[in-house]
Amino acid sequence: MRNATDENITDLEEELLDLVAEEGMIDRALLKRESAMADLDIASADFIMILMAIEEKYGIYISVDNEMTDLKTVQDLLTTASRKIREQKPE
Amino acid sequence: MTLPRVVITGTGAFTACGAGADTLWAAARDGVSAVGHVDFPVLTNQRVFRAAHIDDTLFQAHAVDYKPRFQDRVAAFALVAADEAVKMAGLSKEDFGEETGVIVGSGFGGAETLDVNYRAFERGELRMDPMSIPKIMTNAAASWISMTYGARGPVYCNSTACSSASQSIGMAYMLMRSGAIRRCITGGTEASVVTGVFRAWEVLRVLSPDLCRPFCQKRNGMALGEGAGILVLETLDDAQARGATILAEIVGYGTSSDAGDLLRPDFEGAARAMQLALADAGIQPADIGYVNAHGTGTVANDLSETNAMRLVFGDDFDKVAVSSTKPVHGHALGAAGAIEAIVTIEALRNQLAPPTTNYSTLDPAVGFQPVHGEARAIDTNFCLTNSFAFGGVNASLILGNAPDQ
Repeated sequence: MRNATDENITDLEEELLDLVAEEGMIDRALLKRESAMADLDIASADFIMILMAIEEKYGIYISVDNEMTDLKTVQDLLTTASRKIREQKPE
Repeated sequence: MTLPRVVITGTGAFTACGAGADTLWAAARDGVSAVGHVDFPVLTNQRVFRAAHIDDTLFQAHAVDYKPRFQDRVAAFALVAADEAVKMAGLSKEDFGEETGVIVGSGFGGAETLDVNYRAFERGELRMDPMSIPKIMTNAAASWISMTYGARGPVYCNSTACSSASQSIGMAYMLMRSGAIRRCITGGTEASVVTGVFRAWEVLRVLSPDLCRPFCQKRNGMALGEGAGILVLETLDDAQARGATILAEIVGYGTSSDAGDLLRPDFEGAARAMQLALADAGIQPADIGYVNAHGTGTVANDLSETNAMRLVFGDDFDKVAVSSTKPVHGHALGAAGAIEAIVTIEALRNQLAPPTTNYSTLDPAVGFQPVHGEARAIDTNFCLTNSFAFGGVNASLILGNAPDQ
């Protein structure tokens, strides 16, 4: 059984996937959660654009820390970014 | 023919810590951070609220000769620091002239003038500041110094982002070694805590929203700073002949380019700058007792710089005291190398390695702990200071104890 919070997280992660596809200029259909970002050619510059888009869309500031640097897969990015968004989101 | 030796006889600093090289050193030694709250009314979307800002009160207290119609803050900062350095050296306008160079770097030049005028332009205002160009140009500060002191030798302005000041001091040292000039007023200046520049750094995601913690596992970015650092360089012969007090000697300089990525640092390029400086000085890595690291507090720099130091120092790395004083005075970009050279000179003179303020937790990826908590006593003849810039520009300076006077 999934509760409402889980569904919110899923919705947020789906939105973030769209955002990663757009900012990383990757075909949304080819963007798999388990893909390694390196394999998708998501370079540090794309990463900055993704964080910019997150600021525009959610109004939160994420700077590059050890946690952001250690992300390997698209799912890692979704998990960490959605957690930071939930932690910082102005209610 | 032996090459002239280059010594420092005057230093001047103007930072958010206050005016005066002694004020800067006291703050660095005691780990007292000048990073505070900054608020930009124009920025409706401001996310980060911390920087080491020279506020109006501090500025007006010291920039008494400021000419706002002709100068951006960036030139005024440099002139405050130059005034201190020249007075400390015991020199005056009559002592300069054709054999004195001025080499003062800046990354952004007159950033506030550019910012204010772009916004006026955007609003459709006809009247921009007619002095915009001479206020914005990056060499303005160097030229104001040359005019103020009648220094009619070569004027250069290195604009190599965060290496601007280190490369300026290094270039001054090389020109003096070559015999092209006998004296030089050198360093860097930056007035970057202004709306547009601050926002530009913010969107690059390298500003910490809370604390600048170099080399720490919890590091999440830098604290923007601003200010100026100026040094007066003379040949050892000249300084001794006039009985000047010598603060330190510049014994080595190395600079290199990564020729790799515009933003991502390459530790081998950084290591090469340090190795070139050591070779120039004719000393071994183990002779260095303290490294004032570039240590910005970004994930990328601090890891790359550590790898570079490990490559250079090898088994001796654990013995050398390393710290970053950027949490105290902020990252002053094009002035950073000069401000940190002054901290390094004082570290050498006082035989104390200043602490890395805000450091708390060992990062396993970094694998060492910088000097933190309190200043640590050192016993050394040589200290090294690093500057690494976007664009892959690396610069290292080695300072030696003043020769017997």
